[in-house]
Amino acid sequence: MSKRYVLVKVVCDRRLTGEQFHEIIDYATRHYFGELGFSRIDPRLVKFDAESSTAILSCERCSASEFESALTLITSYAADPMTLLVLRVSGTVKGASKGRK
Amino acid sequence: MADLLSTARFGTVGLTVATGLFHERIKSMQRIFEDHGVGTVLRVDLKPNSRTELLHLLRRFRNLYDIVAVRCVSQQVATVSCRDRRVDVVFFDAGNRNLRFTHTFARLLRGAVEFNLVSDLVDRGDVWALARMRKAVTVAKEHQVNVVLSSGARNYLMVRSPIQMSGLAMTLGLTQAEAIKAVSSTPSAIVTDNRRKRSPEYVEEGVSIILPSR
Repeated sequence: MSKRYVLVKVVCDRRLTGEQFHEIIDYATRHYFGELGFSRIDPRLVKFDAESSTAILSCERCSASEFESALTLITSYAADPMTLLVLRVSGTVKGASKGRK
Repeated sequence: MADLLSTARFGTVGLTVATGLFHERIKSMQRIFEDHGVGTVLRVDLKPNSRTELLHLLRRFRNLYDIVAVRCVSQQVATVSCRDRRVDVVFFDAGNRNLRFTHTFARLLRGAVEFNLVSDLVDRGDVWALARMRKAVTVAKEHQVNVVLSSGARNYLMVRSPIQMSGLAMTLGLTQAEAIKAVSSTPSAIVTDNRRKRSPEYVEEGVSIILPSR
């Protein structure tokens, strides 16, 4: 099963750690698509850079749009407003990393 | 917000401006976005309560803005705005359960139907909003009407990238090609067409003034 790598920019007043970010992604995917959808999407955190507030996530290729939807519908973390911007979707980690500023 | 739009790689954004805003104020707003490399088009959202009010507003504002959108608040307003060719975009209030985009409106529609993905789905927190939007998208697809996808962002936290909007639209039932068209080519075609109509050379459909070359 091939993967899609998604470059995401985190817009949040709070400084997040990799674990917290992973928790947010897991929660959002489960919340919007359920356990079955979660297993189909298979979201994983590949890299998290707290300095630039960017992350590279991976998901199954066939469920990339569902994963993007889950990321779109995230609005907060622990009562702090938050937005995730998908900047680039690629078939490789290297390709996704090119979108970083 | 302009910085974030630039990061999200928007080429052009539609600025919804209040009808009474001074020209200088609008220009300064546009300059902020253009400094960040984001082009702007001016858009007005009309919210008439009756057919007469809608026709009056269209007469007054049609030639002043690049995009004229109508928020349909009643059956009467929705019918007239779908039929009127001066209306570019119609959208339905997600909170209004009594009025939604139905087959009747889809048959009448001359412009495009707009779905404000973020403001309608995220901002309201209404669990049925997703289901209602999915139904509306199905109707739009069935009648092959033009669809415009917008974030409807009122602040920087509601900004989403074009990739995300097309991804969400695909989840709602559009194909990838339709989703991309709804995010980019349909809105751009509306703006191009309206700018051509607003130019001094334009007389009417198929007739324009051609100046002799010097």
